[in-house]
Amino acid sequence: MSEWAIEAENLVKKFPRKADSAENGSNGAQSGAGKKFWPFGKKKEMTYFTAVDGVNLQIRQGEIFGLLGPNGAGKSTTIRMLCTLLEPTSGTARVNGFDILKEPTQVRQSLGTVLAGERSIYWKLTARENLEYFAALYHIPPAVAKKRAQELLERFELAARADDLVEKFSTGMRQRVAISKALVANPPILLLDEPTLGLDPQAARKVRELIAELKAAGHTILLTTHYMEEADQLSDRIGIIDQGKIIALDTPARLKERIGQKDVIRLEIAGWHEDLSRRLQEVGGVENLVSRRLEGEAMAEVTLHAENSRAVLPGILDRVNYNGTRLVNMNIVRPSLEDVFISLTGKALRD
Amino acid sequence: MTTTSRALAPGQVRTAEGVLGEWGALLAVARKEWLYVRRYPSWVISLLIWPVIFPLAYILSARALSGPDQSGLALFIARTGISDYLGFIAIGTTVWMWQNVVLWGVGFALRNEQWRGTLETNWMAPTWRFTFLLGPSLVHLAQMLIFMLVSAIEFGVFFGVRFNGNPLLVILLIAVSAPSVYGLGIAFASVVVWLKEAHNFVQMVRGLVMIFCGISFPIALLPGWMQEVAVFLPQTYMMRAIRSAALANATLSDLMPDIIALLGFGAFFLAAGYILFQWTERRARRAGAIGQY
Repeated sequence: MSEWAIEAENLVKKFPRKADSAENGSNGAQSGAGKKFWPFGKKKEMTYFTAVDGVNLQIRQGEIFGLLGPNGAGKSTTIRMLCTLLEPTSGTARVNGFDILKEPTQVRQSLGTVLAGERSIYWKLTARENLEYFAALYHIPPAVAKKRAQELLERFELAARADDLVEKFSTGMRQRVAISKALVANPPILLLDEPTLGLDPQAARKVRELIAELKAAGHTILLTTHYMEEADQLSDRIGIIDQGKIIALDTPARLKERIGQKDVIRLEIAGWHEDLSRRLQEVGGVENLVSRRLEGEAMAEVTLHAENSRAVLPGILDRVNYNGTRLVNMNIVRPSLEDVFISLTGKALRD
Repeated sequence: MTTTSRALAPGQVRTAEGVLGEWGALLAVARKEWLYVRRYPSWVISLLIWPVIFPLAYILSARALSGPDQSGLALFIARTGISDYLGFIAIGTTVWMWQNVVLWGVGFALRNEQWRGTLETNWMAPTWRFTFLLGPSLVHLAQMLIFMLVSAIEFGVFFGVRFNGNPLLVILLIAVSAPSVYGLGIAFASVVVWLKEAHNFVQMVRGLVMIFCGISFPIALLPGWMQEVAVFLPQTYMMRAIRSAALANATLSDLMPDIIALLGFGAFFLAAGYILFQWTERRARRAGAIGQY
């Protein structure tokens, strides 16, 4: 058996779109000219939006692999191709040794998937009915399905509400039902697409604990997230994806070591205005400055990198405490995955 | 996959292979559909009201046009061989209603899953994807059999219609009609996943059936070219055969030509539905449109 649970080879997904929408811009990777399109009258140029641009991945059996990137980077498109919902434009992948194009049924048998969003289960069914229904779709006999559903309901602390309609559940409980559903056929590989999106902190923590337990039970997990702390905490290895391309791939520690020689300075500035960003970047030694608005228009969190924080701080303070702006808070922090992303792309994950 | 371990490792799960597993999936899809039907019970109101309301306009028109002494009926009887014009209209409207409800019900089965957000979850399972249309069709057929039974009772109670034919023949005719009715519904379901809406197509088919198949009048009244169009619509055969069986004591051998035609239409529409489904499913998979609203 192969060492790899998932192998993607030069996976590409392009979506056609009309020239007008391409010109308006989007969060996608790029667009290229293509064949003519006929929109009822005059011919327009058809362009292609490249959502995934030559992704190569090798995920080991039993590891948690985090795919980290901002919204629109190509994470969900990659997951959708791996679980056979979406056909690649070119390239292919093998899941549990099965080719996603030639052996899609075996791929689906090998996978449990939780897609982003909470409507992937039936709200008008109970938790138990949902699990038994999806078990049948995986060809599990009813008697086995009932037992398996009960085990999962107990394991995910849903047994007390097992026979309530899912529409009466909290978002966190629904997510636990969705993860239970992904596990109902006990697949070796789990694809979890933004599993904590929209959850309150407590529910998100619980889901993260569950993910760690699933790894301990031997499942291979491909996790997509745009929460860097989540990827850092859970993943054995991380692929950072931006504009459809994997731009870095390593363990979280090694990724952070890449910028370990630099200081990461985080500032909170009141009275923020965009011109100040330009002025701060003029300070000698300041690199990779990104800003994010906080609590309305006048506050911003600014992150910047420098070889030597002592050398740049006087210049920064001179410019911040000037003409109505002032420094509210300042930290020199350990590099995070967000800083890795900033150093690679020049922008923040949340942009 | 193994079938023995009590505490199963990832990748080990007891599964029913092949046809048995797929049969279990079909029953599960049908059960889920039935649970949804039960949990949105307002359809029961439609079930009671529509059989009476819908044919009423046609029945009152027929009464008005047949004259105070109903002397106008003689021409109708001469044209159709059926004396019970109320039963004639009731069967025509019921067949129309059947096809109409299938277009909305089965035709929008996958679209409803898209609206619920559950289509992609279903699509990620190793189930034969056509099962997701066959399951709703089964539940819908059961619902329609109830609808037809209630209709027959209400026609008797409110309009005095007496079905004096062989009920087993009527059931047989419903059974041989079902493949073409549901095949068309399945073809619609595929189009709806692709185009995201099919209201105009539904209106078109409803109009075709209403005018060309003669839901309230004998098609012999239609101009020649319209009668030629009617030959290509299975509902024409359904109405004619069911009316003959229920109201004119037709025998199995009398009905055989219509039964053969209906089976032929059924094979054609089911095959067309399946091919269209395969084509649109592939297209949606390429475009990433399976989960889109």
